[in-house]
Amino acid sequence: MSRFVLVGGGVATAATATGLREEGFDGGIVLVAAEPHLPYERPPLSKEYLAGTVDRPSFRANPEAWYADHDVELVLGTRVDELVPAEHRVRLSDGRSLGYDALVLGTGVRARTLDGFSGERVHALRTLADSERLRGRLTAGRHLVILGGGFIGCEVAAVAAGRGVRVTVFEPEPLPLGRVLGAEFGRAVVDIHAEQGVEFRTGQVVTAMTETSSGLALTTRDGGVVECDELLVGVGSVPNAELAAAAGLEVDRGILTDEFGRTSAPDVHAIGDVAVRHHPEHGGPVRVEHHDTAVKHGRHTARVLLGHAEPFTEQHFFWSSQYDHMIQSLGRIDGEGETVIRGSVEDRSFTRFSLVDGRIAGMVALDRPRDLLATRKVMAVPHRVTADQLADDDFPLKSLLPKAGARRSEARR
Amino acid sequence: MGDTATQQWHAVMAADDLWEGEMEAVDVEGTSVLLVNHDGDVFAYKNRCPHQEWPLNDGDLDEKELTCANHLWVFDVTTGKGLNPANCALIGYQCRVDDDGTILVNLG
Repeated sequence: MSRFVLVGGGVATAATATGLREEGFDGGIVLVAAEPHLPYERPPLSKEYLAGTVDRPSFRANPEAWYADHDVELVLGTRVDELVPAEHRVRLSDGRSLGYDALVLGTGVRARTLDGFSGERVHALRTLADSERLRGRLTAGRHLVILGGGFIGCEVAAVAAGRGVRVTVFEPEPLPLGRVLGAEFGRAVVDIHAEQGVEFRTGQVVTAMTETSSGLALTTRDGGVVECDELLVGVGSVPNAELAAAAGLEVDRGILTDEFGRTSAPDVHAIGDVAVRHHPEHGGPVRVEHHDTAVKHGRHTARVLLGHAEPFTEQHFFWSSQYDHMIQSLGRIDGEGETVIRGSVEDRSFTRFSLVDGRIAGMVALDRPRDLLATRKVMAVPHRVTADQLADDDFPLKSLLPKAGARRSEARR
Repeated sequence: MGDTATQQWHAVMAADDLWEGEMEAVDVEGTSVLLVNHDGDVFAYKNRCPHQEWPLNDGDLDEKELTCANHLWVFDVTTGKGLNPANCALIGYQCRVDDDGTILVNLG
């Protein structure tokens, strides 16, 4: 009987386990995770869980009983120390050696650290433990400084401000999220946070940190000193690809795979944040750190393992919630093509499209879920659209679908 | 519950006003209820995604699949079961169409 070993405690490997059982696989499944927790979703760690509005069971990938009920062996709090592809074998940190017929690496990423920025008041945000530790420090009246105005920094700023914490965000770029989402979003995000009392210091860098008797003293590049109680370092991530690299797999800022998630080693697959996957629609390797993509990679790999191989061509989707605002993105927003704004930037209700050769290649929306739902369908079919049409809020996106015009036929497509 | 007082049917709208392939949110004694007409059968659900309580009438209905606008969770409107992810379900209410074509909902 064959045995599949899944490495990693996030939604990607959990989705593979789920997919395998749903598709009728009755061989052995072993899921090895470094953290001592049941596989869980990470988006709430910087949002609802940090805010204390959801509890742990609500964002587990599967309920606890699911694993026993589906004969999935969990090996938690355990690392894979060595991978020997030639022997189809891994060695675990508890000393066990496990043979596999197929191995799925979903080892994820870790928070990038900065030399000189560590200690009792310094935080990262990647794990349940990180989120719980930071939550314990978000007390009204304290001062939290965040290095990095990316998604983690912005989301934590929103939660902290909501708890009455004074928040300062240092962002080396002229605008937070500007490089990813564009200037309109960057400005809107700064304004939204400013209204909640969060101070953005854009174009500024903290170069040094010292501990004082009551907190931290941060030195900025221009020589200023900022005192704070807690510091969050939110400066990106590092793929956990060392295991694969040591085993001789092809690695380049993540584990390289083809469009089926197969690595350079036989019967070794990589999924989720750690995977640099060839994406046919992008025409090249892509690595993203999106929850939705991790789940879809996991499900897709279950099908590949069972011989239903089809290339992975899913559009990337991600969201970020800050206060009562929602940013949602679909497809490619990597600067390719022409940029078109639909809606009102002033009213903070707008969508930014990337238009390539008359086709929507991607979009990101601020509080425009209907644009997201319509675009999702349009992007799935051949279509032609002009910049003027996209920019016109009275032009229905759904009219780009086949059999457009009749509301009824469209809904029943 | 079993209490007859809670077993109340509420007339919510005319079935003719809910086209096939359409959905509509109605208020039933302070509860937002989602009505869905799939192939002539009417279903009633709590109008909140089980994930994060987002109103489902913001979402998209395509054949049997209802997609929530918040994080794109997908449900089968004929069963209420989650399709993606599969480990969740909509909260369903009893629902019927009476002889004069009125949709009735029982919050039970």
